[in-house]
Amino acid sequence: MTQQQLILIVDDDPDILDNIVTVLETQPYRLATARDGKKCMEMIAEEIPDLLILDLLMPRMDGWGVIREMRSEPRYMGVPIMILTTVIEDASRRRYELETGIAMDVQAYIQKPVSPSELIRRVEKLLGLSGHA
Amino acid sequence: MLKTTAHSSLLAERLRRSEVFGAICLADCLEIAEMCSEETYDEGESILVEGESAKKLFIIERGKVSLEKKVQLGRHSTPRNATINYIVPFKMTGFSALVSPYIYTTSAICVEPVRVIAIDGQSLRSYLDAHPTVGLKVMDELTALISDRYRQATSTLTYFLSIVSHELRSPLAAVENYLQVMLEGYAGDLTPKQERMIQRSIVRVTDLRGQIGDIVDLARMRPEQIQTDFTWYDFKEVGNQAIEDVRLAAAERDIRIFVEPPTVFEPIVGAPRRMRQVFTNLLNNAIRYSPPGTMVTFRAWFEADEMVVEVEDQGPGIDPEDMPHIFKDFFRSSSTGDAPGMGLGLSIAKKIVDAHSGQILVRNLPDESPGGEDDLPGNAETPTGTCFTVRVPRNLQTAEMRRQKWMESASDR
Repeated sequence: MTQQQLILIVDDDPDILDNIVTVLETQPYRLATARDGKKCMEMIAEEIPDLLILDLLMPRMDGWGVIREMRSEPRYMGVPIMILTTVIEDASRRRYELETGIAMDVQAYIQKPVSPSELIRRVEKLLGLSGHA
Repeated sequence: MLKTTAHSSLLAERLRRSEVFGAICLADCLEIAEMCSEETYDEGESILVEGESAKKLFIIERGKVSLEKKVQLGRHSTPRNATINYIVPFKMTGFSALVSPYIYTTSAICVEPVRVIAIDGQSLRSYLDAHPTVGLKVMDELTALISDRYRQATSTLTYFLSIVSHELRSPLAAVENYLQVMLEGYAGDLTPKQERMIQRSIVRVTDLRGQIGDIVDLARMRPEQIQTDFTWYDFKEVGNQAIEDVRLAAAERDIRIFVEPPTVFEPIVGAPRRMRQVFTNLLNNAIRYSPPGTMVTFRAWFEADEMVVEVEDQGPGIDPEDMPHIFKDFFRSSSTGDAPGMGLGLSIAKKIVDAHSGQILVRNLPDESPGGEDDLPGNAETPTGTCFTVRVPRNLQTAEMRRQKWMESASDR
């Protein structure tokens, strides 16, 4: 029997985490959560997820910092990242490009709030791309 | 009589290089030097903290300091610091040490290793009291400095608003998510009454989120900022998104949206996210002021030099007295009644169209019903609707096109 795919959800807002978990726990996935970027990176070092759902504005290490680390570490490069944030996409991509000089390599960008059906649809699509299944 | 040491005369010279003591004679600076000490701070250390008793003022001699103000909305949000200014060598911070109630109004945090001259506030105040000519000069400099900080207010406000916006939108997004999770049945079955209440809550929360976005947009809405987003876009996609944005609001008010698309869609340059906002705002405006059961028409066509988009409603029309004001910030017509909104949608739409070198026009429609006054021109006395027309040129350039053109002209020279 193959192990269920792991989704790591990172957001500093416990209500958003509760929302996403409530929806995704109805699906056949394993879920893990973190409240900031540093904790997220610690958890990834222990087990590489099949999908990372990531907020941007967070304490300790923000989402842009997590993307930078993920995309500079060969072991994590293949992990699809879904940004789920209140930050507008244009502004967010511009900030990342200004800071790093390269384009922001994420597979989905969703502005909060997201409806449950849309969330499930996007997650299914990205897990189809994951190289860790 | 003050005994001048080599150290204090050196300090006095350094004081005279600062903005606040530049106009003071050496003798006075020598006296003030006696109230000074030198301090150094590491990167990340606070020189002074907002809300604490202001005992010293500081002249930065080396390094850079950021002035920060704490922003916290509600008990549950994480406090954040908004940077309101940077202080560089020869500039000062901590003028609250000279002004009642002697409480620092910002924090000063070192962004690099910093060396400062710290001046004891109480001693300096006593000296300035006893030497009014010097006091006046120092206060003149302080006034100039504070005026300069006020001039920075616009950028400070924009920065503040972006933080405020996030702080307000985040809890709303969480509430909206919970409502959607309930509505889609992930938290158990709902009675029809509960379902209707949740649907209404979603509409109200979405409205509120839009209004917060409008206030923030108003602060950010500078033409050059909009123009940096210029790119090729497909009007069909942007138009469809705008219709989707207002679909719920139209259904709520029993308004039908009738679309008259162009015969051919041609790519055009502009800021697509902003143009979507223009059409969404015009459609929302039309929906708000239309009687239930009527129709809003969204039509577009391409002319040789321009793309033209019209939004037409069957509402009561705009009072001719209000016509000159409808694109002003926060203007709400006297006939608005209980329609929601803050009077920002149209002013934002105009700012965006202006940044596209376009035009946004409005006219009341004549009554074309049998016996109606259909021979009246433009601003009819008995209108049966309003038509907004947006015209944007088709020869706008993306940043890349502007760069290439500049390179070509440079190589010709």
